[in-house]
Amino acid sequence: MKGLLVKDFKLMKLQKNFFLLIVVIAVSMIAFTDDVTFPLGFLTFVISLFTLSTISYDEFDNGNAFLFTLPITRTNYVVEKYCLSLLLGCSTWIAATVLTMIASILKSTFPVADIMLIALMILPIMIMIQAIMIPFQLKFGGEKGRIALIGVIGLVFLIGAVIVKGAEMIGIDITNMINTLPVISMGMLIMIILAAAIVIFLISLKISIRIMNKKEF
Amino acid sequence: MLKIEHLKKTYDNFSLDCSLEVRKGCITGLIGQNGAGKSTTFKAILGLISIDSGNITVLGKDIKKFTTKDKEELGIVLSDSGFSGYLRIKDIIPILQNMYEKFDKSFFLEQVQRFQLPLDKKLKDFSTGMKAKLKVLVAISHNAKLLILDEPTAGLDVIARDELLEMLREFMEADEERSILISSHISSDLETLCDDLYMIHEGKIVLHEDTDVLLSDYALLKVDRKQYEELDKRFILRSKKESYGYSCLTNQKQYYMENYPKIAIEKGTIDEVITMMVRGNKS
Repeated sequence: MKGLLVKDFKLMKLQKNFFLLIVVIAVSMIAFTDDVTFPLGFLTFVISLFTLSTISYDEFDNGNAFLFTLPITRTNYVVEKYCLSLLLGCSTWIAATVLTMIASILKSTFPVADIMLIALMILPIMIMIQAIMIPFQLKFGGEKGRIALIGVIGLVFLIGAVIVKGAEMIGIDITNMINTLPVISMGMLIMIILAAAIVIFLISLKISIRIMNKKEF
Repeated sequence: MLKIEHLKKTYDNFSLDCSLEVRKGCITGLIGQNGAGKSTTFKAILGLISIDSGNITVLGKDIKKFTTKDKEELGIVLSDSGFSGYLRIKDIIPILQNMYEKFDKSFFLEQVQRFQLPLDKKLKDFSTGMKAKLKVLVAISHNAKLLILDEPTAGLDVIARDELLEMLREFMEADEERSILISSHISSDLETLCDDLYMIHEGKIVLHEDTDVLLSDYALLKVDRKQYEELDKRFILRSKKESYGYSCLTNQKQYYMENYPKIAIEKGTIDEVITMMVRGNKS
């Protein structure tokens, strides 16, 4: 598995200019604007997408066939990709959060506690996005994966809209229901969301392993 | 070292039914036309595709039970796949070091030097010859017991091919326990290297013979119609109608040389044998 990680870092090094560009954009946003949420989210998401690009590189020119003749299993491969995505996502998340905090202390714009809260909201979203994107990338590959993903996101919105409309028709106001939910502390809510994100991540890992084990090269 | 028993795999317009064996210390060749089933066989051995039925044992172990540790004992070349073209040899070295416990870095670097492969160039910019040499080099650099090489010589010029075959000979000389399974659609690539040869056609093994026997006992008899009728056909494997009469493939050259001194007998090259096995009629 270490060999796979080494390979992926070597592949990501090819995109180092792109990587630097993103870092520069994010850092200057943190430095020159008072908006915290956007640079924080932007940096975390874009960097964590690098995992997907390593999957594309692996697939390029039927490279997967050779890859799986090396002393690794398909399960190893999937686990490594999930570890990589967490490694990238979490380390940029920590770096971005620290940067934002330093900036806000220097500029005294936001209280640190608020930034922490925003950062903690971004973390589970980042984990969930990874959990959704990786299996699609593995199943359909680069090009088709993107199209399939757009389709699924559209479908989710459609289902959401149908549920809300349907509920309205039988006389339930969902927005109101959410607003009047029993008030629990913000910290608790974040913990629940984070736990849910981790569960989804693990389910996604299981699905991805099954996808990979079924593939023929 | 490697044993395949009735490996079956069916696609829409192709079905494979293959049995073969690679013995310890031997180089076994698999010859067949493009699309004959060579790569499918190799991919099945390596677990890259699922199989419909049959047994495959590699190094005495069923491939379904193969672990990553077992895989370290194999050296693989695939015809249509390799390391990502965006990597350089410099990048591959640490990857191999972390993949194979027995990766021999100094040997690897020595060979890279010997074949003048550039360390700092992306693999996709390599010439065909350089790519092929690197693939084989990767396969032989971690003290593997069995090499499985699918068309390692495809597209090479004569010099590059000979250099590559030399690498394989050196690999075999270093340890008597080692074996190689190698495929090609060009038999002359293999006849100087292999101990025995399998011929595959339309998914079936049509011939298995030691290379020595193939070169010494197989022959083509060129006969006219009258000679053909008088010919003892017990040792004729295939025959084919020609403008002058018939050409017949035998695996008992001596018998016909002694009993039919007037018949024109040509020493069969492996390519001719294959063509006869594929095109000729069974007699």
